[in-house]
Amino acid sequence: MRVRTNADRLVTQVLLGEVWPPLADRHPHHVGADGAPFLLPGMGGVTLGVHPGDPATGHGADHLEPGLSVRARDPEANMALQFLATVGSRARLVTGAASGARGVVIGQHAYVLCDFAEADLGRATVGDLVAVEAVGQGLALADHPEVHVKNLAPDVLAAMPGGTLADGRLEVHVTTRVPAEAIGAGSGMAVEYANTDLMGAYAGLAADLSLGLEGLRIGDIVLLEDQDHRFGRGYRPGYVTVGVISTGTCQLHGHGPGPSSILSGPAGAFAIVDDPGQNLGALVGVGAAGEAVARGA
Amino acid sequence: MALRAAATPRLVETGLLGLVEHPSMAPGSPYAIDRDGRPFVPAGDGGIVLGVGLGDGVFAHDADHVAPGVCLVHPDPAARLALTAQACLGNPAVVLGGAAAGAPGRVVGKRGEAGRVIVAFAPEVTARLLPGDRVRVAARGQGSRLAGMEAVRVLNLDPSLLAVLPVRVDDDQVAVRVHARLPARLCGNGVGRPAALWDVDVQIDPAGAAAHGGAGLRLGDLVALTDWDARWNHGYRRDAVTIGVVVHGASRVPGHGPGVVAILTGPGERLAADAGAGPDDNLAALLPRMAGTEANA
Repeated sequence: MRVRTNADRLVTQVLLGEVWPPLADRHPHHVGADGAPFLLPGMGGVTLGVHPGDPATGHGADHLEPGLSVRARDPEANMALQFLATVGSRARLVTGAASGARGVVIGQHAYVLCDFAEADLGRATVGDLVAVEAVGQGLALADHPEVHVKNLAPDVLAAMPGGTLADGRLEVHVTTRVPAEAIGAGSGMAVEYANTDLMGAYAGLAADLSLGLEGLRIGDIVLLEDQDHRFGRGYRPGYVTVGVISTGTCQLHGHGPGPSSILSGPAGAFAIVDDPGQNLGALVGVGAAGEAVARGA
Repeated sequence: MALRAAATPRLVETGLLGLVEHPSMAPGSPYAIDRDGRPFVPAGDGGIVLGVGLGDGVFAHDADHVAPGVCLVHPDPAARLALTAQACLGNPAVVLGGAAAGAPGRVVGKRGEAGRVIVAFAPEVTARLLPGDRVRVAARGQGSRLAGMEAVRVLNLDPSLLAVLPVRVDDDQVAVRVHARLPARLCGNGVGRPAALWDVDVQIDPAGAAAHGGAGLRLGDLVALTDWDARWNHGYRRDAVTIGVVVHGASRVPGHGPGVVAILTGPGERLAADAGAGPDDNLAALLPRMAGTEANA
């Protein structure tokens, strides 16, 4: 993205988490949007077969978290990990059979979600330690004071198309425009923690649940209309938020594929370009695009 | 014509114990951040709040999530959730000890996350309560069904309060008189959470309330959420209607606002809402009409 930033003033902090196990209680079934009980994998642990560029929906999963789901054991250290890790921060397995493998953070979901090559995921397991080189909180756009950057590593921003236009607006390319009706669980929460579930993407469930979002892919850059995520996540006519889809299909009503928010501000500060190809995988060189190595690594 | 609960299943009453809450705040900083990025100290969020009651405007107090009653909790987290899930709007409550022992109240709301039950007492009773005082809630209503109208689900509602709701009943449709019809895009915190446990916050502020049908909204008002299904989790469903009660006031935190507890939910062809201020669209008018009120009061 052609844009002036403070990237050269940002610091990188090394954080440590571990691959956290999937969790359940004595009552394993949950209730789906149409009332049917389900028991499905998706959250926590090591999830194979889904990477940026792959469909976000259609899997037999709930709250699908691609790759490694990482937390820190100490509660306050964990909040630092969740708040400071950004989309595009580099990750590295430092213990276990895949020790030394390199990956990249694709978002937050009360876990830090790390994409690695399929072969590395096939050797990783619960308890493996993951080092995250967290960089990006505090990233600012010198010529766009109304646009707030969130949860985004500078090299991902640099790789995105668009940038400052002659009229002063920020050009951003997105695959999908998401109406405010789709905003589900996550509204009202801190924007640096977890993500915003999108309703209306229930592939295979009742038609009256649909908002036309069944085609979302993991890693898609999307526009959330009438959403102001500068200081939290909320509905606000005239504001927009750009996000990266970091989690996939959900069966629970009020949930769905979720974007981690990366840019937010008044709609007039943006020039949005509809561009179906915009995906994190192509920007950081992970997932369907091939190697699990952050751009420039 | 009034609504009534079906004869079967026969409901049971459970005697629940709630303790009057003491407000709590996160360590380190008293500040929350409002939607314009300004820090503020949230006051009135939980516990005992004096001078607030049913019928007060949702923007009438410079307070955060302020409720028209005293919040009850339980020290055991699972018992606290059971208290919240099983207590229903209109249920009678009585203070068991302390300076207000023996005083009666009514459940007028509940709130999500860890769970709270909101009980309204006479102002002179509230003034004598202290955090930790024990309150018995006679919980009854979950599992209730609407006689002759299976497509419309009833939840969180004492059958005696159901019987005095302002309704128009046709052969195949129930129409409830409400203060306002609020569109799905306003629903914020609480989306995707179980409607038997959580209220859903309506994202209106004083400046924008009128544009969304929320002008003059008061604590205890009956409202309709349109395109909203609350049978299990709160979430979007085209043409579904949810009738609810406003259980707490506004908030400056993004994604938050006056909270609504669902009491009726169903497809639009079976459940309708007639909007327009009336004398009986608020719990303040309805609670005194409930059968058994004098015996309890």
